[in-house]
Amino acid sequence: MTEHHSHKIARIHRDLHNHLPSDPALRVKALESLLIEKELIDPRTVDAWIEVYTEEIGPKRGAQVVARAWTDPAFKRRLLENGTAAIEAFGFEGWATGHLRLVENTPQVHNLIVCTLCSCYPHSILGFPPNWYKTAAYRSRAVRDPKGVLNEFGVDIGDDVEIRVWDSTAELRYMVLPERPAGTAGWTEARLAQIVTRNSMIGTQRHVPITPGALA
Amino acid sequence: MDGIHDLGGREGFGPINVDEKEEPFHEPWEARVFGIARAISRPDDWNIDWFRHCRELIDPIDYLTRAYFDQWLMTYAAMMVNSSMATVEELASGYSQAPLSGFPPPLPPSAITTAKKAVTSYQREATVKPQFEVGQLVRAISSGHSGHTRLPGYARGRGGIIESYHGFHVLPDVNAMLIPRAEPLYTVAFKHAELWPEEQSDRGFVCLDLWESYLEPR
Repeated sequence: MTEHHSHKIARIHRDLHNHLPSDPALRVKALESLLIEKELIDPRTVDAWIEVYTEEIGPKRGAQVVARAWTDPAFKRRLLENGTAAIEAFGFEGWATGHLRLVENTPQVHNLIVCTLCSCYPHSILGFPPNWYKTAAYRSRAVRDPKGVLNEFGVDIGDDVEIRVWDSTAELRYMVLPERPAGTAGWTEARLAQIVTRNSMIGTQRHVPITPGALA
Repeated sequence: MDGIHDLGGREGFGPINVDEKEEPFHEPWEARVFGIARAISRPDDWNIDWFRHCRELIDPIDYLTRAYFDQWLMTYAAMMVNSSMATVEELASGYSQAPLSGFPPPLPPSAITTAKKAVTSYQREATVKPQFEVGQLVRAISSGHSGHTRLPGYARGRGGIIESYHGFHVLPDVNAMLIPRAEPLYTVAFKHAELWPEEQSDRGFVCLDLWESYLEPR
């Protein structure tokens, strides 16, 4: 039975800091060799997870969900009511989306997602968060100066728009439902999915840009 | 704990790298750490809150200067040493000095088909009536504790309103210590101006998901 003592872990961290190779790539190599030797991992499974989160699971999934919400009002209602249940229609359920909550942007409201205490993110639907989402710069400022943060991303929020910041402190995971851009009337769901950006689903982009290359 | 990880509202960290290339991993070793973290056979007494607490306990300077996936690596390494699965010497050299028993064979690649769709719910059956209702005014408690907790420092002692109720969820403070207790979980909306009066903004909210024992009526 593992002991769960904070002071012991802090001491182990200091030992590791002093004894492990200073280059992270070398630290990982040593860890992986050791885990294989101790029969705690199958390296082919490591490869397979990397492949899944590189090829299959990423923000394209979120984009498909947003595009459907833009074209199917009944789906949008279900999505806002229970994100976890709604994404099962796509088979997108999985890691960190057991309590998925969508927050909707409107002309009056802009939503921004952060995790100030670690880096919680709805992985099975958006993949891996960008590094900036995990940095002290973003985590510290998103709750205190969201307007300034948005400015840095080139987003100017007018004084008539209310900013709602969602700090993911529990196991709920948040995703922004951005507004459908004007000029996309009659677009198919598949075409709309091509223009939805990752940042628009985190909230560091306000207006989804109409990409000229989006194929009809 | 009042650790370096509790970053909300801290100042001086500089600009955000908004031009970062959009890709899941920037370095091959980052991808390996992720794959290892997913594939590793783990003892039954590890859980998400214990992992988070072990990450919070990284030396503060390392926490701020080491890359995210490097912190994962250090956290798993510390948990393995703590659970007697490896020694610091073994982790440093990459060579095993003693075989490990009591673990099932590692997951084969075929297990991913179901594992990638596995959903974890942290909701538990309600045991009593929740103390607060949607729309009620509450205040976050002003004290913390040295263990794992999910009440950020910036919200302590501040007044908010219950925005929504989510049923009973596993309480991280005790779950990190393997005590399975659940409490009512609420989203609490704090006016931006209540949290940061010095910022002189009069609009907007910061919403946090907080357990009942983090709150008191006002």
